[in-house]
Amino acid sequence: MGNVETKLREEAKKLLTEKKVDVVIGYERGTLPLTATPCFITDPAEADRLVFDATCTQNLAKFAHDILSAHREAQKKVKPEDKKKKVVGIVARGCTSRSLVIHLQEKQYARDDVVILGVPCSGYIDGRKLSAAVGGEEVLEGAVSGDSLTVKISTGEKKVALSDVYADNCITCRFNNPVISDVMTGDPAPAKSADKEYEKVEAFEKLSIEERWAYFTKEMAKCIRCYACRNTCPSCYCKVCFVEQSMPQFVGLSAEKTDTQVFQLLRTYHMVGRCVDCGSCVSVCPMGVDLRNFLKKLDKDALELFEHRAGASMDDVPPLSTYKENDKEDFIYNP
Amino acid sequence: MAEAKTTDGWEPKIIAIVCNWCTYAGADLAGISRIQYPPNVRIIRVPCTGRINPFYIMKALQEGADGVLVSGCHPGECHYITGNYSARRKFAMLKRYLSYIGMEPDRTTFTWCSASEGERFAQVIKGVTEKVRAIGPADKLVKTL
Repeated sequence: MGNVETKLREEAKKLLTEKKVDVVIGYERGTLPLTATPCFITDPAEADRLVFDATCTQNLAKFAHDILSAHREAQKKVKPEDKKKKVVGIVARGCTSRSLVIHLQEKQYARDDVVILGVPCSGYIDGRKLSAAVGGEEVLEGAVSGDSLTVKISTGEKKVALSDVYADNCITCRFNNPVISDVMTGDPAPAKSADKEYEKVEAFEKLSIEERWAYFTKEMAKCIRCYACRNTCPSCYCKVCFVEQSMPQFVGLSAEKTDTQVFQLLRTYHMVGRCVDCGSCVSVCPMGVDLRNFLKKLDKDALELFEHRAGASMDDVPPLSTYKENDKEDFIYNP
Repeated sequence: MAEAKTTDGWEPKIIAIVCNWCTYAGADLAGISRIQYPPNVRIIRVPCTGRINPFYIMKALQEGADGVLVSGCHPGECHYITGNYSARRKFAMLKRYLSYIGMEPDRTTFTWCSASEGERFAQVIKGVTEKVRAIGPADKLVKTL
């Protein structure tokens, strides 16, 4: 990934110097070993902070939306002659670019408000898998080299294969190269095993109704309603989320178990045709709720019923805002 | 709805969310024609099935409804031209999703019923009541606090 990083820094520096963008959203080294954190670069001299490797987890599209919508709000108070345009440069791997496509399809900002710095991606490290691989020990130091990780723990050094710690969504990723980009850094990454995408969902569908309900309630019982999943999700950008809405109040705020279940059901239902399987919600979840199992089902159904893959192409229309006269209606009841 | 805890003497409570232009008029016709159907249904009238937020269905289930019925105009006959087509997509996803998480598929029912189909409306209510009666009182997703 070395040359991707070099190219990325060069391009970011160029864009900032030429004033083509106001800010570049990317990743920088995190404070803990083997982590990367989102960063916002406005000064070309600081472009060297940018990194891109298997430690970069979060989907950055969320920040592009935040910055652009905050800017649009601020511009409402400005005299017409003083109005300014803000352009955001964003480091986008496959899933981030799909989220940007979804924002553009949903007319959240214009295509020329973003400059997309595409990066090829082979996947990112799942914190939980890594911690399991080192036996729950604290990672003191770590480095990515080629397709393996060198991790230093209190008992010594350990080598871990990257393929063992890639997140689940990365292993079966279909779009690991950006679907749209203005500048592409590096050659496209090799394809992942996308044909196994729905393996887990299919297995889950075969379980009995009681087993499925037991699993659902077990997973939802873990949830502490911290809303980290919502806050990190690039598709969750409503100004007032239904959770905070009080007139009418759709979901109770108590610790009652069905309130949590309904919250998760409704939030995931909002992801119909909008979830890009970036895994951000799963990676930020402090309780390790298996959200992906449920989100992936919606993804599978949208593909089966409407032949739609979220954010796969700029020409698509969000599935729930369109219809076909011959949509399947086998679920319609006829007495 | 705590009174419906035991199966003895239990009667299903069904929330029917119906569109103003077709099914509500169909229910009206069933009444005018004095067609008998089970009294287990509570009708909520909305302008169009396209106006039904899937939250309504979830909320009804959470508040203890034993079954939810959604009914609107037949495809192609929507008063607002395309409302029921959009609704059909939403409900197709919702129904599959609810049964995926382990809800009984018969708790939620979707159907079409036009203003002239009083007889069909009565049949639908009969059918849905029987289906819900067969699975018993709602116990999943029901708020007890």
